[in-house]
Amino acid sequence: MRLLIAALTLIVGTMPAGAQWLDRPTPGIPRTADGKPNLTAPAPRGPDGTPDLTGVWNGPTPEPRLDPANEKPWVNDLVRQRQQDYHKTRPSYQCRPSGPEADRFAGWKRILQTSTAIAILNDDLTYRVIFMDGRELEANPAPSWMGYSVGHWDGDTLIVDSVGFNDKTWLSRYGQAHTEALRVTERYRRPDVGHLQVEVTFTDPAAFMKPWSFRADMALAADTNMLESICERSSDHWTGTLSEAASRAVTVAPEVLARYVGVYSGFYLGRPRTVEVTLSGGQLIARVTGAAGVDGGEIRPLVPQSETVFEGAGLGYQFIVDDTGAATDLVQINITGPYRFPRQR
Amino acid sequence: MRLFLAALVLMVGTIPAGAQWLDRKTPGIPRTPDGKPNLTAPAPRGPDGKPDLAGVWNAPAVVARPDPANLQPWVLDLARQHQQEYYKARPYYQCRPSGPEAERFGGWKRILQTPAAIAILNDDLTYRVIHTDGRELEANPAPSWTGYSVGRWDGDTLVVSSTGFNDKTWVSRYGVSHTGALRITERYRRTDLGHLHVEVAFTDPGASAKPWGFTVDMRLAADTEMLEAVCEKSSEQWAGSLSDAASVAVSVPPDVLARYVGVYSGIYGGNKRTYDVTLSGGQLIATIVGEAVEGGLGAAGLDEGAPRPLVPLSQTVFEGLGLGYQFMVDDKGVATNLVVIHISGPYNYSRQR
Repeated sequence: MRLLIAALTLIVGTMPAGAQWLDRPTPGIPRTADGKPNLTAPAPRGPDGTPDLTGVWNGPTPEPRLDPANEKPWVNDLVRQRQQDYHKTRPSYQCRPSGPEADRFAGWKRILQTSTAIAILNDDLTYRVIFMDGRELEANPAPSWMGYSVGHWDGDTLIVDSVGFNDKTWLSRYGQAHTEALRVTERYRRPDVGHLQVEVTFTDPAAFMKPWSFRADMALAADTNMLESICERSSDHWTGTLSEAASRAVTVAPEVLARYVGVYSGFYLGRPRTVEVTLSGGQLIARVTGAAGVDGGEIRPLVPQSETVFEGAGLGYQFIVDDTGAATDLVQINITGPYRFPRQR
Repeated sequence: MRLFLAALVLMVGTIPAGAQWLDRKTPGIPRTPDGKPNLTAPAPRGPDGKPDLAGVWNAPAVVARPDPANLQPWVLDLARQHQQEYYKARPYYQCRPSGPEAERFGGWKRILQTPAAIAILNDDLTYRVIHTDGRELEANPAPSWTGYSVGRWDGDTLVVSSTGFNDKTWVSRYGVSHTGALRITERYRRTDLGHLHVEVAFTDPGASAKPWGFTVDMRLAADTEMLEAVCEKSSEQWAGSLSDAASVAVSVPPDVLARYVGVYSGIYGGNKRTYDVTLSGGQLIATIVGEAVEGGLGAAGLDEGAPRPLVPLSQTVFEGLGLGYQFMVDDKGVATNLVVIHISGPYNYSRQR
């Protein structure tokens, strides 16, 4: 398993449990009679009457519907190649800015809004600025990691247009590449104190046939603070590829594989995670779902390395069996340790 | 030279010359009759009457050399070791946040100010937040790269207090460490539209006996934009150390060395730079004349006055604190030019005398 463990994700958001300083009441937000934040109160507005998006926000990782048929062949090829390499060159794994990657629109962020600019501050210590001073998009800005963004209000919706990205970033953690001609349109709406909805559209004709979109829903993180989550060690030293794992595969009898088919549930980094194991064409397939996005993809073919240990797209999966050989638990082996998921059915 | 070239600085701030989009007029600032920004107009104020620090600012490189006598022995030992290794472990060179490193207080930044919080956005795409909603400093915040900062107004001066730093950062590029107990006090004064004066004081008894500090004078970068300067490749692959260089030194006769003694001038980073090469105790010494060199590779360490010895690797090529120095000679063996070899290329300095 050495090879596989070396290839695992190193960036783990850590939240010290119950740290008192994280429980301070957020000043200046409306509260219900019992003192709790009133998350459905009307959204605050700035002196100019437009909604004020200021606050600390958190949202689940968006799951954009990726359509390979909408990708140009060169993007398709890169996506396959990057999966082979365990997504090792993903910018955030290399301690580089994520830029416009879809996952970056979720997670923890602090928004500061002034009449001339909005800053979106991410928990990885990167940020972007949206100019609100009425300027137009530049025709030819220097390509950058975060792009050049201008915003304007359409009623209560903030519309943000961005260009000027470099082509070093991905549009999804599955490796969708883009060109420097990428344009991003975002529509932000704060329907009440506690909620911020964003619709994001990527337009990049040299990489995708048609524009494609996804939505991110954020909730106000009231009465707490945002913690830093910094990449300290790049993926440069990751070794191994999917095809290397395949080349070491052993043969496991179909009746043995059949005993592992089932649904396993547990917790991963404090959040529920379910692994559904099915048998398809003589191969075990794990479908990993949960409250957080799954790095490396939801669907993982399990390549047998022994009767009970399998490689699944960069993670180790070990089935714990009873004396009849039937699986009772599935252990997912991460660099942060083994996570045990008891069998549900 | 392979060893040394691998150890050179990788991050070079690049400004595309004459890009039109960088010349846009900054909206909303007072101008003189000829349309130029009026940098001595009164500082703008927010709705609450407090000075508004918002804007794009730039400051010359901060030169922060704490007094070695004020540093605890373990800090001094680490600083020497870091110099030996060409400061390879400097957070910035490893693509990690600089946190409270003195040099981070200089350079390009954008400030956004709201009544409840101020954000300072750096050109390396890191940022920090100063809470100005009246909260007190936390007694025990989770240690972080950029610390926990609260600010309050003392008249027209913003006084910022910060704690809660992790101990992974340096307080100076010369390899000066700090502990998790570091406290920083900053005093920001925008004296007029175009100028922001900052006084910074570090208090950390576990690392330096007495508090020490420095000042930064920032200028409003009007009618331009800030460009990203992002670290893309960490220093992990840097090889070599000062003592490696010494161990491969060759012997060059004193009369050959003497032909290199002189003054050489050229352009580095768009500015004139002059090297004075002298011979002392049988060894060539290079000194950069007439400018405060911010440090890093090719510069002296904590001790500003320390000589930069040139270690001979051949008759004409020398190693100097992580940079290569090559003397170009005429047919009599007399130097006509000095070429200083950076990873960004060779820089030619013509002999003046």
